[in-house]
Amino acid sequence: MTDIRKKRRRHIRSAEDWAVDITITVIMVLVVLVTVYPFYYIVIHAFNNGMDSSTGGMYFWPRRPTLENFETLLADASWGSAIFISVARTVIGTVLGVFVTSAVAYALSFEHVMFRGGYYKLYIFTMYFSGGMIPFYILLKSLGMLNTFWVYVIPGMLNVYYMLILVNFFQTIPSSLYESAWLDGAGDIRVFFQIALPLSKASLATIALFYAVSQWNSWMDSVYYVTKDELRPMSYLMMEIINKSATASTVTNAQSMGYAASAMQSTTTSLQMASMVLAVTPILIVYPFLQKYFVKGVMIGSVKG
Amino acid sequence: MNKKDEISHRPKGTFASRFRQQASLQMILLLGLLFLAVFSYVPMVGIIISFKEYKLSTGLMGFFTSEWVGFKWFIEFFTSPMCFKVVRNTLVLSLLKLAIAFPAPILFALLLNEIHSSKFKRLVQTASYLPHFISWIIVSGLCFTMFSSVNGLLNELLLKWGWIDGPLTILTDGKQYWGLAIGTEVWKETGWNAIIFIAAIAGIDSALYEAAQIDGANRLQRIIHVTLPGIKGTIVIMFILALGGLVNGNLDQAMMLGNNLNRDYSEIINSYVLTIGLRQFRFDYAAAVGMMQSVISVALVFSTNALSRRTTGAALY
Repeated sequence: MTDIRKKRRRHIRSAEDWAVDITITVIMVLVVLVTVYPFYYIVIHAFNNGMDSSTGGMYFWPRRPTLENFETLLADASWGSAIFISVARTVIGTVLGVFVTSAVAYALSFEHVMFRGGYYKLYIFTMYFSGGMIPFYILLKSLGMLNTFWVYVIPGMLNVYYMLILVNFFQTIPSSLYESAWLDGAGDIRVFFQIALPLSKASLATIALFYAVSQWNSWMDSVYYVTKDELRPMSYLMMEIINKSATASTVTNAQSMGYAASAMQSTTTSLQMASMVLAVTPILIVYPFLQKYFVKGVMIGSVKG
Repeated sequence: MNKKDEISHRPKGTFASRFRQQASLQMILLLGLLFLAVFSYVPMVGIIISFKEYKLSTGLMGFFTSEWVGFKWFIEFFTSPMCFKVVRNTLVLSLLKLAIAFPAPILFALLLNEIHSSKFKRLVQTASYLPHFISWIIVSGLCFTMFSSVNGLLNELLLKWGWIDGPLTILTDGKQYWGLAIGTEVWKETGWNAIIFIAAIAGIDSALYEAAQIDGANRLQRIIHVTLPGIKGTIVIMFILALGGLVNGNLDQAMMLGNNLNRDYSEIINSYVLTIGLRQFRFDYAAAVGMMQSVISVALVFSTNALSRRTTGAALY
């Protein structure tokens, strides 16, 4: 939309224009409300006294503000360990993912690489066909990866879709930037670390966001590939607590949920709200700043994909 | 010849010397391929157990050494009482998604394009991406918070205002599951999926709008005659992609929003595979059910792609 068009419209704004504008604004305000308010609602409940929340009627701000829900959660050893696992898998999974994906994308971005077409076909084929969950489980078992931390980070290390996004990006780096390094005798690996990676910070940040979000949110691998309690990530405990409060949503007695928290008057629901706030906050902090980049990333990916 | 190639990589020389020159690149690509061979291609070979009697204790070798049983598992699935429900749920949910969750981002992009204030536009966009980044666990948590018949916000308000007499049972009534599934899907992904359409709209030549305006087209007419034709290609491509996922269903959603009370309407092929495979440990039977699904899905992509090439000229392959 150009400036000229905007100006023009301002000059000849008809009644119809006004009506349309108002309708659209109202619709969009509703969209924003429906999207954002549920999050706001859990935040005010997470920061409110549990017993008080259970009486209902709290819509705008906490009535009896408190941090006790978070204190109860963080005092629980299993939550401490779960937060550690979630952070660890997010950090390690993202670093590994970005490193492996960008290395492969870098190599594939050279047009003179031998067997390039063959590599492309074999890589892309895996985007469209898969063996399904059952053979995959058998594989993990045979590799001895079940019940280890590595089952969280290794299998997802190379996402072919993200790799294609990066190939597209690396190809836009002008070759003159590589040349001087080559003349100085640097090899491909050095060029990768010293020129290609530093030039791709924005794209790498986008891919890192995608990997990090999927690691942080992931829970099914913990349900099916892991049985050890000390390997549970936060999302798993959250799933348990949500399922519990769903099946026993009438129960407001915190003790029956296994939390010795009745003294602190935190109900299961409040703990659930607090855990959801803990899970959403990191995402909420990061994604708006990367918006510009991931929008670009999605577009590049879908043009080729 | 490209200068870049001259300097470092394309020496005239034998196959072996060329390979040596780019050995580090080849090493990276081969390692990547090895990774995919293990984590993607080996499981593909594993599909073979759909036609075999497989025991988990036999491990990977069991893919080859187990006994053939032909179509035994397929026949068992088609004659089982769950078959009809699972296939119906998968298809109904997919078709509803195609009919509602697919056009939603297009409509959203069109509306967004009509906003003049760029600040407001940006606010709406940023807010609309948020649900994409959160897990289905959180979505289900939000659903319980909003819709629970005991202390959900919606019931609380509706009862207070006297609009309903008894609480709505959105989460536990099987008949309402399909609506819940589509609603949450639209809520979660509309903003994200709109990105590509917003970009396509931004690419339309503004002279076309000028011309339409001079010809006396009102805003709705401009949308219909300029914007929509302008993004037709994008819509077709995204439609084909959506069809590819048509029978995949949303496993996370089925696992989190499905419960024993709405199981008859929430169980889809994918979640059924997990239940029989990893809960009841019937690996061979589960693999057969899972395979059927991927075959249908691949067939759908290729046939719609061919159809689209013939009718609209736009195609993926």
